[in-house]
Amino acid sequence: MNDSTKTSERPVKPKPRARSFLIALVLLVLTFWAAVKVSFDLSTFWEVWSNPIWSKFWPIPWDWVFTKENTFDPLIETLQIAVASTLLGCLVALPVSFAMSSLTTPNKVVYFISKTIMNLVRAVPDLFWAKLLVTAIGIGAFAGAWSLSIFSLAVMVKLFSETVDAADPRPLEAARSSGARHLPAVKTGVFPTVFPSYVAYSLYIFELNIRASVVLGLVGAGGVGRVIETQRQFFRFDRILGLLIIIFGIVWVIEQISVSLRKRLV
Amino acid sequence: METLSDTPIPSQRPPTPKTFHRWFIALPFLVAIIWSVAGLDITLSRLLDAPGDAWLIIKQMIPPAFGEVYERGAVGKIFESVYIAWIGTIIGAFASLPLAFLAAHNVAPLWIRSPIRQLFNAIRAVPELILAVILIPVTGLGAWAGTLAIGIHSIGTLGKWACESIEDIDEGPIEATEACGGKWVSGMRWGVLPQVMPVISSYWLFRFEINVRASAVLGMIGAGGVGSELVSQLSFRNFPAASAVLIMTMAVVLTIDTISAAVRRRIIKGAETTDEESRTLQAITDLTGIRS
Amino acid sequence: MIKIERVSVTYPGGVEALKNVDIEIEDGEFVVIVGLSGAGKSTLLRVLNGLVPATSGSIIVDGTEVVKANSQTLRQVRSKTGMIFQTFNLVNRTTVLNNVLMGRLANVPSWRSTLGLWPAEDREAAMLALERVGIVDKTYVRASNLSGGQQQRVGIARALAQEPSLMLADEPVAALDPVTSRQVMGDLQKINRELGITTLVNLHFLDLAKEYGKRLIGLRDGVLVYDGDINKVTDETFREIYGRAITSEDLHAMNEEQQQSVGNGK
Repeated sequence: MNDSTKTSERPVKPKPRARSFLIALVLLVLTFWAAVKVSFDLSTFWEVWSNPIWSKFWPIPWDWVFTKENTFDPLIETLQIAVASTLLGCLVALPVSFAMSSLTTPNKVVYFISKTIMNLVRAVPDLFWAKLLVTAIGIGAFAGAWSLSIFSLAVMVKLFSETVDAADPRPLEAARSSGARHLPAVKTGVFPTVFPSYVAYSLYIFELNIRASVVLGLVGAGGVGRVIETQRQFFRFDRILGLLIIIFGIVWVIEQISVSLRKRLV
Repeated sequence: METLSDTPIPSQRPPTPKTFHRWFIALPFLVAIIWSVAGLDITLSRLLDAPGDAWLIIKQMIPPAFGEVYERGAVGKIFESVYIAWIGTIIGAFASLPLAFLAAHNVAPLWIRSPIRQLFNAIRAVPELILAVILIPVTGLGAWAGTLAIGIHSIGTLGKWACESIEDIDEGPIEATEACGGKWVSGMRWGVLPQVMPVISSYWLFRFEINVRASAVLGMIGAGGVGSELVSQLSFRNFPAASAVLIMTMAVVLTIDTISAAVRRRIIKGAETTDEESRTLQAITDLTGIRS
Repeated sequence: MIKIERVSVTYPGGVEALKNVDIEIEDGEFVVIVGLSGAGKSTLLRVLNGLVPATSGSIIVDGTEVVKANSQTLRQVRSKTGMIFQTFNLVNRTTVLNNVLMGRLANVPSWRSTLGLWPAEDREAAMLALERVGIVDKTYVRASNLSGGQQQRVGIARALAQEPSLMLADEPVAALDPVTSRQVMGDLQKINRELGITTLVNLHFLDLAKEYGKRLIGLRDGVLVYDGDINKVTDETFREIYGRAITSEDLHAMNEEQQQSVGNGK
């Protein structure tokens, strides 16, 4: 071996820091504690197929499922909730997003207040909104559509205002330098560059809303979930399974269309 | 102006493009609005009464009855939601990681990756709440049903995200392990895993944030956690207590969001040199598949 | 000893990377392969350890047929063949030691290496390899924190840890500055002389080749255009190998004449 290559001693293996150990230990203990608290039970996995309850899921009563009043009317109501709340939420989000972007809103107070409200709205899970509105304005699709509108608004504002933030500021500058007022300057300078993203986000929110509107009925906010909730109380899991197969078939098709539209836009 | 019109290009002004196609886009929108609103049994009186009704309840919600819900054990219920989300995320993470390796097109053959991708898509299509509806009769009411529902649903999203980050790697180290005579497993363990682990673990944390919200909702149908508390207070029309539950939930959700986001930033820091803003956009791109 | 007979490689896209190449290399030789990008240099190295499968012909490395060998035989050949890459192909996010230990993968059961439970003798082999390239002081440093030259030395150490009888270096200095390039080439030369490892190095430029090589192989468009003593290289051979770099029309005709004369001469 050539001695010129032996320039240095072998280093000592560095010991992991005590803090990392401590963090790992705390996480481990927390995980165990949490597992006990949720009554973690692996035997569910191997006992799952021998559970007699599965026989309640089978056979699926297709002649009950394929009826207008049991499946298709509630399903259409679900779609209507999703469409209406997407349209309302996204339309209102358009001006709000521009008001919330630091690029287009020089006013710090407006910016701060709207951002805080939107963060608070998003901190409440969507079905909590639904339950609140059901209590406030009565059971049915009306409450469901309102709650999803609020939620769409919050999510859309979050996504879109960040896109506006990142938009190229130069066209806006050009429009301002030609003496345009604030609103027309934003309309001609920023709007065209961010509009495709706006449409794409709207479609994405539509997909979210479709999924959410399926389960709204579980808390009384209309749509196909109402049927699931009723059948659940009668322990008719065979009917529920049939319904779910139909629902997710249709949801899947709609999503595929929406996804392919989105891809074409971008 | 003289000089301009003297230019030797005798071009004609093009005709204004016809814009009738705008109506083709607007028309379905109008139809959609009318059709969807018609189905929501909106009457004028309901529309007019709704804000008043909502205001009436908001008024009753103040001040929130924190003391009352504390005595009923609402804090424990909120923590139960967090536990459900934590264990559910761990189940999802452990189950999805090996599957993601089998689903990535640069490291797995077609015959295995296409069924696994379909599995991810199928799982993602079913919301946690629906999974819980199916699981509750099997496991009984309680936190374990919610944990399983969240765990199963997380496999879908976590698997998809992990798979995409595996597909984005530098494939040089895999070639190096192959050239050393290593097997497929070694290539994954030493060539791929160190590259993707920071991104994937930050996805786990992000999923945990989402799961905290999801587990709060699951309680509403009896799958454990704070949701049941909100439902019962609202059905008793005990609005001060309901608003206390709501505010406590929001506080916990926002705290966890903030801590988790800070940890995620630390994990990713050093890996990417992009500034804060473009990283947010990157996250949106990752989540939605939309490039802006 | 390596025996390459009538080897051709056609990629799935239809590109012919190697055309009917015959080469014989004795044990302990230091061979430099030159040619333009896309001349087939990388392919020539990679057919030797089966990273690229040869379409036809025969390659015998130390008595083992590589062409159409099963995966176990290939792993055997690869474990005795070190490889060094233009882009280093290190795992940046882990320590230098872990990178070098990858060279021991073929000697260690998969479950042990996967869990990181490397046997002491394999750790020792990795440390010895690091000492030989003179960066043992960086053992526990993350690979991403090293300079380009140091990273390539880790790459060499990883190959050395395999205790190979053949070393393949695919443009090892293309990503390095001139001074570091000389150091890395010097390392390779020393390894060849001191350990007697047969070494094949791909290079882009002839000046480095002349400094370090004994035997030169010139490739152009997948055809072997020169194979012989590096000191007998003339301006004529220069043009045979690099002729295509000058893309003016008049040179094309000349190139073709030369190519024919080479064909006749062989």
